[in-house]
Amino acid sequence: MTLVMKHAATVALLLIPLAACDGEKAKQPAQAVAPEPPKGPVGPPTPTASAAQRLTTAQYRNAIRDLFGPEVVVPPALEPDVALDGFDSVGSSKSTVSARGVEQYEAAAFAIGNQVIADPKLLGRVLTCKPAGVTDEACARTFTTALGRRVFRRPLTPEETTKVVTVITTSATTLGTFEKGLPFGIAALLQSPNFLYRPVFGQGEPKQHTGFELATRLSFFLWNTIPDDALLDAARDGALASYDGVKKEVDRMLASPLARDGLRNFVREWFRLGDLDRLEKDAKLFTTYSVELGPMAREETLRLFEDLVFEKNADIRDVMTTRRTFITPKLASMYQIPAPSAEGFAPVELPSDSPRRGLLGQIAILALYAHPTSSSATLRGKFVREKLLCVEIPAPPVNVNTALPEPTPDAKTLRQRVKIHLLETSCAGCHKIMDPIGLGLEQFDGIGRYRTKENAALIDPSGELDGQQFNNPGELAEAIRNHRDFGPCIARKVFQYGTGMKPTQEDNPTLKALADHFAAAGYRLKPLMAAVATSPAFRAMGAPH
Amino acid sequence: MKKLNRRSVLRGMLGGGLVTIGLPIFDALLNDTATAFADGDALPKRFGIFFWGNGVLPEIWTPKATGTMWELSPTLQPLAEMKAKLSVISGMKVPIANAVPHLSGPIGLLSGAPALAADKEAFARASIDQVIAEAIGGDSRFKSLEIGVQPGVKTLSFNGPRSNNPAETSPHALFQRVFGPEFVMPGDMAKPNPTLALRKSVLDAVTDDAKRLHLNLGATDKARLDQHLTGIRALELRLKKLQENPPSLAACKVPAAPKEAYPDVEGRPPLDEISRAMADILAMTLACDQTRVFSFWFTHGVSNTLFKGATSGHHQLTHDEPSPQPEVAKILLQIMTELNYLLKAFDAVAEGSSTLLDHCGILATSDCSYGRQHLLDDYPLIVAGTANANLKTGIHYRSPAQENTSKLILTLARAMGMTLDSFGDSEGKTNQSLTAIEV
Repeated sequence: MTLVMKHAATVALLLIPLAACDGEKAKQPAQAVAPEPPKGPVGPPTPTASAAQRLTTAQYRNAIRDLFGPEVVVPPALEPDVALDGFDSVGSSKSTVSARGVEQYEAAAFAIGNQVIADPKLLGRVLTCKPAGVTDEACARTFTTALGRRVFRRPLTPEETTKVVTVITTSATTLGTFEKGLPFGIAALLQSPNFLYRPVFGQGEPKQHTGFELATRLSFFLWNTIPDDALLDAARDGALASYDGVKKEVDRMLASPLARDGLRNFVREWFRLGDLDRLEKDAKLFTTYSVELGPMAREETLRLFEDLVFEKNADIRDVMTTRRTFITPKLASMYQIPAPSAEGFAPVELPSDSPRRGLLGQIAILALYAHPTSSSATLRGKFVREKLLCVEIPAPPVNVNTALPEPTPDAKTLRQRVKIHLLETSCAGCHKIMDPIGLGLEQFDGIGRYRTKENAALIDPSGELDGQQFNNPGELAEAIRNHRDFGPCIARKVFQYGTGMKPTQEDNPTLKALADHFAAAGYRLKPLMAAVATSPAFRAMGAPH
Repeated sequence: MKKLNRRSVLRGMLGGGLVTIGLPIFDALLNDTATAFADGDALPKRFGIFFWGNGVLPEIWTPKATGTMWELSPTLQPLAEMKAKLSVISGMKVPIANAVPHLSGPIGLLSGAPALAADKEAFARASIDQVIAEAIGGDSRFKSLEIGVQPGVKTLSFNGPRSNNPAETSPHALFQRVFGPEFVMPGDMAKPNPTLALRKSVLDAVTDDAKRLHLNLGATDKARLDQHLTGIRALELRLKKLQENPPSLAACKVPAAPKEAYPDVEGRPPLDEISRAMADILAMTLACDQTRVFSFWFTHGVSNTLFKGATSGHHQLTHDEPSPQPEVAKILLQIMTELNYLLKAFDAVAEGSSTLLDHCGILATSDCSYGRQHLLDDYPLIVAGTANANLKTGIHYRSPAQENTSKLILTLARAMGMTLDSFGDSEGKTNQSLTAIEV
């Protein structure tokens, strides 16, 4: 029962009264001016372990879009991402590519190459010279040099260039035209581990990422795609060797529309919103369920984050308490409010007496962290603890009876039934920090519809979060927003996502410095991302994992 | 993390024992009765795993009598027609620490070893399908095939730490992969294709890049890149095979193409339809000798998928439904019905004087015994097929003393022709086979 013991310690820690938060909830600034974030690099130069991360499927698709244009269709079948410690970016540091994955990369590379040569517009973007004959080696070299630099995110070595040029000219000779050789050159670049992985070797003592390595790291972190030419030029010119040089590029990157892709991907990984593609809900029980609901609900959440970060530059903790959201007519009908538009997404302010507030009022979270036929106080409580407050919940102990009693005349609601979790000592350690939070959301059923009763009994959504009483989901949202661990947890998640490594004890000073900076900057997410991207820890290169 | 080099990865894959393997010879002619090749080698053996998540209900899983005179238990009723072609093994235990529900069991069972010390959710060694694939899969077009039924199912086929082989979960994609444009009918002439040599030259360039990188990477990344190179070599082998004329195989037919998609019906995936489409394709994939090792992931552990007729997700029911859990029992009947379909599909393929199923050794199992409590003793185990008369079927063997499940795995590996001294590591290790089902 070591798990439970370990857990008990965590609980004790969490139950320290949060006096500092008392009374804060009444005076949230409505539209405060964003405090100017402190200047200069944040935190010590403590490196995280290094790894050759493989591109996630989203990164592969984005890279192809940026290399060849948004018209190119990437085949759907690619080696699936593996999440570790909740993030695909961490999984990408450790997982491998299977034999089938290698096969799929080959098929994808040729499918892409063949689309490029079939469309003069696409071809013109990557082939800037006019081939003089079937085996124009100089033109093949021009093509390879320019494309290769963006694919490998660094200049190709002369040997690498020659190798690809030979593939192109040999293929062109066999197949009869210069253009027909190009897909083979593209396939050689796109199947290379220099594209599919992000190998890092560093330089100097103590080791730092090279300019090109840092450019790649910044780009996948902030844009979830490969660097553009300007960033590669900055790396080539040595501009990324100084804090000021990096800051300039990071500010440019955060002002780019691509930063929205970066933010969306972070949120998607953080909350595992990709799983909404496979939402399984009993359609007979949940008559409003349909297959498009999951992706639609995800889009609502992502649009809210985009709005708070890019349009409002708001305190991101407001994502818990805001009344603002973005919904379609279908979501509006599920929220029982008038649709803000005839079709598509439109912004809406939920009425101030609405039970829905912020993230925990959204179907994406309520439906994902629930069962196929019912809600789940435990899954929702676990979501809040793990994703929002960064508490690790251990797996339940084995060999215990995990059954919940069926509803009876005496125990009609989930609150009455989950009491058993809190009575069994082997369960209580974990469940008492999860279930009371989830019970605060019980007025939302397994698909996120509002209800006041379960089995004809009134639902009591009151409870307590680490010393803070709440009477309804809206007050629970406030308690989380003002929880002292919420801000530091966001900083930790951003750092973990950006570095692709689970933080260790050694990262604590960095995390503390980032959390302090985040608070000083009014909990604005863009300054936090900039602080991580420009931090000495992000530039430093650790030992291989 | 423990440092790895290629040799230790390989050693892990081969279970730490001595390995000698007679490579299958397939370009020889069959003998007159087509029970074996002319030179006496038997028809190829195939290994498979059929896996479902969330365990069983031991009370209605385990047959009452043992030996050869036993009756199917209530849960095993759907397998009535196949009873003579399978053995039920009960009373064995996965002897590793039960640290992570739904994972410690299959990690211990399939790799014979505890999880990584630093991560109790990670295989430290290869799973048995890959150990066997390493031995017998090298000569076929696909070293192994991983097939999933539940949409998005996660496999437990591992080459080593965090090196997963994900499943094909679309019957259409599986069909295209095996029987698509690149398929050459055994006995037909290979289609001349000038691009094959060009594709090979691309892979040569890629391999060259990988080898250069390899020199400077850390140990873990080296092992990860090795895995990638293994995939590239498999692809090269496949390109080479496309230029060869495969020997004729009487049993091989291109199966009917499956539907393009199997959408959910009222929020529930049509697991039965998907499973049957996969089983039909798989039977011919094996009969056409496209692979000799497969794993079939019906659902995964903690799967909360909605089965037909169930009032809640599967995992939730195993924990919340009051005893004796009639809904869980019905779900298990659905799973056994699909296992039966797969076995029957294999048994319907005549190969020589026996059937494809007779040339298989298939392990059917789950992630724990009693799902409600995640128990690892009295593990649910079925072995189907005799692997060319190397395994005894038609019996119920009940271990008197919670024997180590690695004994069964070692037996299966030996039945496949591997001469392993032992299987597993630490408390999972054994050098004894399960003689009760050994021929």
